[in-house]
Amino acid sequence: MSLQQQLEALILASDEPVGIQKIRDMLDDLPSAEIREALAELESHYNTRGIRLVQAGGGWQFRTAPEHADLVRQLWSVRPPRLSRSMLETLAIIAYRQPVTRAEIEALRGVKVSSSIIGGLQERGWVRVLGRKEIPGRPHLYGTGKPFLIDFGLESLKDLPDASQLMDEDEIIAQAQQTETHAEHDAEAGEPPPSTEGEDTSATGA
Amino acid sequence: MTESAEPAQPKPETSAQEPMLQVRLDNFEGPLDVLLHLIRSQEMDIFDIPIARLTAQYLELIEAQQQLNLEVAGDYLVMASTLMQLKSRMLLPRPELDEEGEEIDPRAELVAQLLAYEQYRMLAEEIDERPRLGRDVFSRSVFPEAELVERPLPEPDLDALLLAFRNVLKRVGGEVRHHVFMETMSVREQMGVVLERLKRGGVVLEELLDKPGREPIVTTFLAILELWRQQAITVIQEGSYASISILPKEAHA
Repeated sequence: MSLQQQLEALILASDEPVGIQKIRDMLDDLPSAEIREALAELESHYNTRGIRLVQAGGGWQFRTAPEHADLVRQLWSVRPPRLSRSMLETLAIIAYRQPVTRAEIEALRGVKVSSSIIGGLQERGWVRVLGRKEIPGRPHLYGTGKPFLIDFGLESLKDLPDASQLMDEDEIIAQAQQTETHAEHDAEAGEPPPSTEGEDTSATGA
Repeated sequence: MTESAEPAQPKPETSAQEPMLQVRLDNFEGPLDVLLHLIRSQEMDIFDIPIARLTAQYLELIEAQQQLNLEVAGDYLVMASTLMQLKSRMLLPRPELDEEGEEIDPRAELVAQLLAYEQYRMLAEEIDERPRLGRDVFSRSVFPEAELVERPLPEPDLDALLLAFRNVLKRVGGEVRHHVFMETMSVREQMGVVLERLKRGGVVLEELLDKPGREPIVTTFLAILELWRQQAITVIQEGSYASISILPKEAHA
């Protein structure tokens, strides 16, 4: 009875992603390194199969491979509803800037954020109230919940796309002014400002 | 305005000559989204925005709307006034200086706002493109339809209820006999007690008849019958000799 087989059985039977700690509890405190190694081997084993072993929300789960989405969807008559742009933008801001108040979200989007948007995100468990900000009015502070990580296939918040490149507003202002002085300087020298567009966009193509 | 924008096309490409009338505000997520569209589609330099031109285009666009959704109208109008204020500040003969004596570009704040918003707009798209559980990838689960299948609740049965009552009485001792007694416990009061307990959800009949002594049991039973008659509760027995559940009325609906 190999460890890999035991893991497969546990993960398949579970309703939600299974964490390492839970596996250890059930396997007599086996060293986590051993479990991780077996999981990594399983993960690569399933990489070429119709189901994948993926890490999401702090645990491991079997999922159908994304390339079979259209096929699998035919099992059900109900199509998953599309998310509106306002919902996605609000979710993105909450994910990257949590804990964040509604007013801060509105400032970033430049429009009101309706209760139905926040409510819709809360209903799915993607967003939850983390607490209150100790400023007048004590507004709610929003953050993401575990279902957000699970549903979007994120191991943790660190796996959000491009989080490292995200700039603060102060940094953006600084950058804006810096670029302007460069532009002025170039204009004085009688040369057109250097084109930064076009060439380096290919890197982000994926 | 022309009804040219196709609904299937969220952001119609516009030529530099007449970019405005092709655009409809309901395709946008607010003033920042509109400004970014105007800037990017006309390849303006975002770090050197031609404020006068942008303001004119933006105002034209707002005015062209037959009706502005009241919920967002305020946000669009605030941006209009911000743009007009920027336009006038750009015309000041002497530039404003910050504490260190450096020139303040009045546009810097707006540019920062636009760039920040553009980033989140992009991140939102990236998040949306990730394989999502339940949309693109699926875990082993109960089929969604299974929850929609209607499972009609079995019809209640007065005989079964009486039988259950008889069983309970047998358990606490004594038999059912005509007996006239003074009411020390009120049926009405007990009806209230039953309803109060049902507020927390359905209960099994035995649970309601858990007080020792015949009188409380009889009173509670009468209360249940009366509530049932008044259709304030629902009585369910899943099968012959199965336990009888009492549910508040709305749980049945």
